[in-house]
Amino acid sequence: MPILVDQNTKIITQGLTGSAGRFHTEQCLQYGSKILGGVTPGKGGQTILELPVFDTVYEAKKALDCTATMIFVPAAFAAEAILEAIDSEIPLIVCITEGIPIHDMLTVHRALKNNPASRLIGPNCPGVITPGQCKLGIMPGYIHVPGHIGIVSRSGTLTYEAVWQTTQLGLGQSTCVGIGGDPLIGTSFIDILELFENDPDTHSILIIGEIGGEAEESAAEWIRNHCSKPVAAYVAGRTAPPDRRMGHAGAIITGGKGTAEGKIKAFEKAGVVIAKTPGEMGLAAQRAQELACKH
Amino acid sequence: MNIHEFQAKIILKKYGIPIPPFFVVSNADELPPILEKMNLNEAVIKAQIHAGGRGKAGGIQIGRNRTEIIEGAKKLIGLKIVNNQTGTNGLAATQVMISPLISYEREYYLGCTINRETGETILLASPSGGINIEEIARSEPDRLLSLPFESGGRLHDYQLIRLVKFMGWTGAAAENGKRLARALCRAFCETDALLIEINPLVETQAGELLALDAKFTLDDNALWRQPEIKAFYDPAQLSPNDALATSQNISYIGLEGNIGCMVNGAGLAMATMDIIHFYGGHPANFLDVGGGATKEKVAQGFKIILSDPHVKAILINIFGGIMNCATISAGIISAATEQQFDIPLVIRLEGTNVEEGKKMLKDSGLSVILADNLEQAAQKVVASTLSNCANN
Repeated sequence: MPILVDQNTKIITQGLTGSAGRFHTEQCLQYGSKILGGVTPGKGGQTILELPVFDTVYEAKKALDCTATMIFVPAAFAAEAILEAIDSEIPLIVCITEGIPIHDMLTVHRALKNNPASRLIGPNCPGVITPGQCKLGIMPGYIHVPGHIGIVSRSGTLTYEAVWQTTQLGLGQSTCVGIGGDPLIGTSFIDILELFENDPDTHSILIIGEIGGEAEESAAEWIRNHCSKPVAAYVAGRTAPPDRRMGHAGAIITGGKGTAEGKIKAFEKAGVVIAKTPGEMGLAAQRAQELACKH
Repeated sequence: MNIHEFQAKIILKKYGIPIPPFFVVSNADELPPILEKMNLNEAVIKAQIHAGGRGKAGGIQIGRNRTEIIEGAKKLIGLKIVNNQTGTNGLAATQVMISPLISYEREYYLGCTINRETGETILLASPSGGINIEEIARSEPDRLLSLPFESGGRLHDYQLIRLVKFMGWTGAAAENGKRLARALCRAFCETDALLIEINPLVETQAGELLALDAKFTLDDNALWRQPEIKAFYDPAQLSPNDALATSQNISYIGLEGNIGCMVNGAGLAMATMDIIHFYGGHPANFLDVGGGATKEKVAQGFKIILSDPHVKAILINIFGGIMNCATISAGIISAATEQQFDIPLVIRLEGTNVEEGKKMLKDSGLSVILADNLEQAAQKVVASTLSNCANN
């Protein structure tokens, strides 16, 4: 059983009637994902891509018995959409939206703490994909092949680069998870590492980190104490200047903390195979996978 | 987004947090009638720039009479200040803030921030004011109090008691302190702030607490719902290119090198800068052209990169996942043709229909260097700057 999503996961799209929601739902359907309907307040009763649209997540869940939602709602309303999904106890919530105000995410964070039935991935993330089974996000499906490397990343296109490199080396991916580029996110590196650790189909893990915060350092600590599988990592932002937000709201070095060097050192201490450049992510993952086969 | 000290004080005042009276001028000639009207004979003159450490860098002057105040203002208006917070190009103050001198007994630190690991809003307090808070956290952690508060900004009574004892506030200062802390937390939440720092917060002999200096960092993602704060935006505190990029909603940060970069995706953009550096090159900028990579976006990107005179070569690295590479190539060709530049252009494309995209670039008549992967792209663009320099 792959982590998070598989060929049976029943999905709805919040924001289905918007252009991004519609476009990517169609792409996911083409990949074979089981998207059963969508939600846009006020547009209930419509049909998009032959899928029913509902006014609320509550109604959609009642009608479709969905277990996952993909959120393409604009930033001004996205936190509300997440809160609605949590309120309806949707187990897996994947929020693609970038630009949600951090104070809105504080409210979401509290709601998640009070509702452990729901897991949020993102926001500001490309989504989750179990190659060959289910794509719940905006990543290009064709670069992925089923395999045994679990990938977890804060980035979007940098993740595709890593996936592409591993695919070209003849290695496949078990599941790829984009946890997002914001400072406050629903699921951490450690949360996904725990899932990979307990997934028999994942033999080694590739982490793609970047500057800002302490998520990589915490993950390194967890790996040292709890991870039985080999891990490879690349950390972006060695050349980023301090105190500047490098695109992602969470990619900022403040008060000297959150540097790429610090994160790489932490990973090295935990025995993680480090990709010295982004051109070597595939090779680092291959090295980790070879270590896995040795066991 | 950053704002000036005087703007921060405007916000604090709105929340009932006491500040010294002030006025702001952009020309020293405006001063004499104002000084006359306010009967001001002693004042502190502070350069308004988006950086701290002004004192050490000569950005704060004291005038002990009206002539000195005017001289101080003349000195600071337009003065470029360079320190480890301003970047090597420094920041110039177009305005100065003038305040009467305040006598006070003690200095404190009071601030609000967000702990991104725990998802908590935190009130930070220290009885050691006037010093960098990171320094206190490092060398005197016992002198730093961290109080998580409910989102919405409400501190509990028991937290306020703890704060007052920790700061050593008694009598009037204790009551003022409680009121001020509550107001600060509320301001933090209502302005969608990422960070507020009052450093120093000073205590007068009468037990009044005043914010002598204030700094706000606001959430860019929330400016659409903060019109008053959005209006505080000062493009003069950004480099011309950074300001231009902001006005066009392009994610761009000017750096000090000579290799311009255009990439889709922030993580990939940072990684591209990193690999250029690894092969001995120096990125001139960070630029995330975003998920679209349309002709318009690429053209805007070119314009901004090319207005940096240091740029000797450009690297375009686009992983067009769902976006068709043929579309991307069409955009690049169109934009590059319009711009008409003659520095080396290295392009690495990957994604749907990449062969078609590459063919279009080869057939375009544009002088482009194609790369098959990230490593090649970085090596080729670095090599092109070396040969380009050699030709000059």
